[in-house]
Amino acid sequence: MNTHQKVPVTILTGFLGSGKTTLLNRILSEEHGKRIAVIENEYGEVGIDQALVIDADEEIFEMSNGCICCTVRGDLIRVLGNLMKRRDKFDYVLVETTGLADPGPVAQTFFMDDEIRAEFSLDGIVTLVDAVHIDQQLGRSDESTEQVAFADVMVLNKTDLVSGESVDQLEARLREMNRMARIVRSEQADVPVDTVLNLSAFNLDEALVRRPTFLEPEYPFEWTGVYSLEAGRYELSLAEGPDPTMSLVVRATQGRDDAELREGAEWCVRRYAEPAEPVRPGDEIPIGAHVSLQLQADGRKSFFLKLDSPVSVGLYAQHTAEEFDLRMMSAEGSVIQHVAERTWVAQHEHDDEVGSIAIEREGDVDPDLLNAWLGGLLQERGVDIFRMKGFISFAGEPNRYVFQGVHMLLDAKPDRPWGDSPRRNQLIFIGRNLDEEDIRQSFEACLV
Amino acid sequence: MSPPGPQGALRVGWSAMVDDYAIAGGWVRGGDGLVVGDAMGGIHAFNGKSGANTWSRQDAHEGGLLAMAVHPDGATFATAGQDGRVLIWDSTEDQPGQLIDVGGSWVENVAWAPNGEWLAVTCSRQVRVYSGEGEEVWRSEDHPSTVSAIAWSDAGELASACYGRVTFFEGSTGKQCQKLEWKGSLVSMVLSPDGDIVACGSQDNSVHFWRRSTAQDSMMSGYPGKPSALAFDATGTLLATGGGERVTVWSFQGRGPEGTRPGDLDLHVQPVTVLAFARRGMRLASGARDGAVVVWSLDEKGHGDPIGAAIVEDVVAGVHWRPDGRALAALDARGGVTVWRAA
Repeated sequence: MNTHQKVPVTILTGFLGSGKTTLLNRILSEEHGKRIAVIENEYGEVGIDQALVIDADEEIFEMSNGCICCTVRGDLIRVLGNLMKRRDKFDYVLVETTGLADPGPVAQTFFMDDEIRAEFSLDGIVTLVDAVHIDQQLGRSDESTEQVAFADVMVLNKTDLVSGESVDQLEARLREMNRMARIVRSEQADVPVDTVLNLSAFNLDEALVRRPTFLEPEYPFEWTGVYSLEAGRYELSLAEGPDPTMSLVVRATQGRDDAELREGAEWCVRRYAEPAEPVRPGDEIPIGAHVSLQLQADGRKSFFLKLDSPVSVGLYAQHTAEEFDLRMMSAEGSVIQHVAERTWVAQHEHDDEVGSIAIEREGDVDPDLLNAWLGGLLQERGVDIFRMKGFISFAGEPNRYVFQGVHMLLDAKPDRPWGDSPRRNQLIFIGRNLDEEDIRQSFEACLV
Repeated sequence: MSPPGPQGALRVGWSAMVDDYAIAGGWVRGGDGLVVGDAMGGIHAFNGKSGANTWSRQDAHEGGLLAMAVHPDGATFATAGQDGRVLIWDSTEDQPGQLIDVGGSWVENVAWAPNGEWLAVTCSRQVRVYSGEGEEVWRSEDHPSTVSAIAWSDAGELASACYGRVTFFEGSTGKQCQKLEWKGSLVSMVLSPDGDIVACGSQDNSVHFWRRSTAQDSMMSGYPGKPSALAFDATGTLLATGGGERVTVWSFQGRGPEGTRPGDLDLHVQPVTVLAFARRGMRLASGARDGAVVVWSLDEKGHGDPIGAAIVEDVVAGVHWRPDGRALAALDARGGVTVWRAA
């Protein structure tokens, strides 16, 4: 009957030896002064005085109806149910799962049990990844795949024990599987505590205030070149290359340093999630749009850029400049050198069954069509959809709607008004063997 | 602003406070005293008539108290807590008479056998039975999951509930005599006094019950929440169940409750948390998250009307009828202890 702050809960998952206990101890020593309860499901050496450590056997309770999204963790309901009675309540609860845990029932416990939901809020799922062994684990076990799929944050640990190149490849693989999660690299689980706690990952309106997107960049482009240009008309010339088309976003007012390039990359990742507009040789390339340069013809092909005022532009290209011998030329035909460039760890095709599908689209959605499609999709494929997040612009609705789901459980609610900000939609699905084309087309069909 | 006074059959009695969430309590010495345990692990004894605090002991259970049971003779009671201990107290003394070290994990349930000879406790996946002197009589093998509830029948059988199963043991020896299986998380359990009917509330918002004599079982579904509050009346005719804002009462009279319309007691505005029948007659007390306590007068079909009501300051954590049925005690989440006279 009281309105009070819910106690945030963070779930730490990861295989045995991935560094969960090290991270746990680091959190406890840095957050001293706070009352933290730790629920442990496997033996670990947690040695901090002020934390209450409760050992509980992981008890997975399925229901008689056999529905997997009704499966909950009985031990958490029991232990949390008792903890919440004390007047000097805890400031934070950390749940450390066993290495073989499926994170689904843990997360569902916070949605399915009314009493738990009334007192606790799931803050986020943090998955520790052992950079040395995860490649083998992902091939061999469903659990490690699911731990990656459910994560809000992945701590890529033990990066000091593998080469930089392998870490890049691993990061690209993980990103492909789960584009929602933030990836932080660490040695000995040494990450800033604020990257793993107080994420409000399940409180979407709050999370969106801090970052206006759920999409974590996976860099669908390999190369960026920055050109400092005067007003005028420029020619972008490409030779024959490995592919008949190349995606490109030209971004205006692009800075040169690394932070500015990353910022640009984040922005362009979202442009890349929109459908590409085909641009033929001789055509002008629109600024700030996702285009697909049509390169089927033989020989060099030219495209044009028109600038009304002096500006520094960033070319975010699907392939490196070398592959197509890309050149920027002035109207007089002289080659202009870029003032900065960088290559990105590009996304690679993996044969992982688990992957992410991200949809980003401007425009308004018909609520009935969307509900019918999403309802059906979750009913049919809920078992294979681990997480889902998104925000939607419903036709005629002044407020943005935020969505999130765990398996078949779907939560949708109105968020703040759109106001002057552009109305757009973003949806991310993380799941197993999802048909990306089908999901994209079905979403398109829901647009007004 | 103080809440409105009690209505109808409930008359002003006394009230007191303990130090934290009042987890459990019970009347002692035939109603001369009331004992209450709180979430900080404190035990508090009150004069049953005046409400004067006769003794208190803080931190009796380090980490917090989880359960309490008054001995059938009313003179002693047992408490259990997160410290893995069971303490047996004389209701007039602020020092425990017996200390039982059960083990490293929480002791979540304690129950005295109706003959007063044995004390059953649960610790993680085990049930253990002790004598009144604290000697271990027997212990069960590990259950498939943590034991969520225990109950004795008048005949001295002990039942335990866990995920997917109810198990019956011979109280004196621990010999397993029956297993009833149901795929579901059983969060609460009551036995009819003769031990024939076992009713369990399940996490999936249903009540499942078995009649042991006829091996018939039934599931009552459609509850809006999980039925954690259950109570049988002393004759074993009526089963009151929570699991939402309404109290649903099933009558085992005749061929029921299958195919009958249950009593539907609708007055609470938030989910019901606790239920208790008076020892005699068909009076039921219900308490809810909204702080309301209601007394109902029921017929043998489980239908009836509210005859008294009162409000306490927080979620009702316990309702306890005095053995003579002439007073009702309510415990709440803020640590309030309220006693009304019942007309």
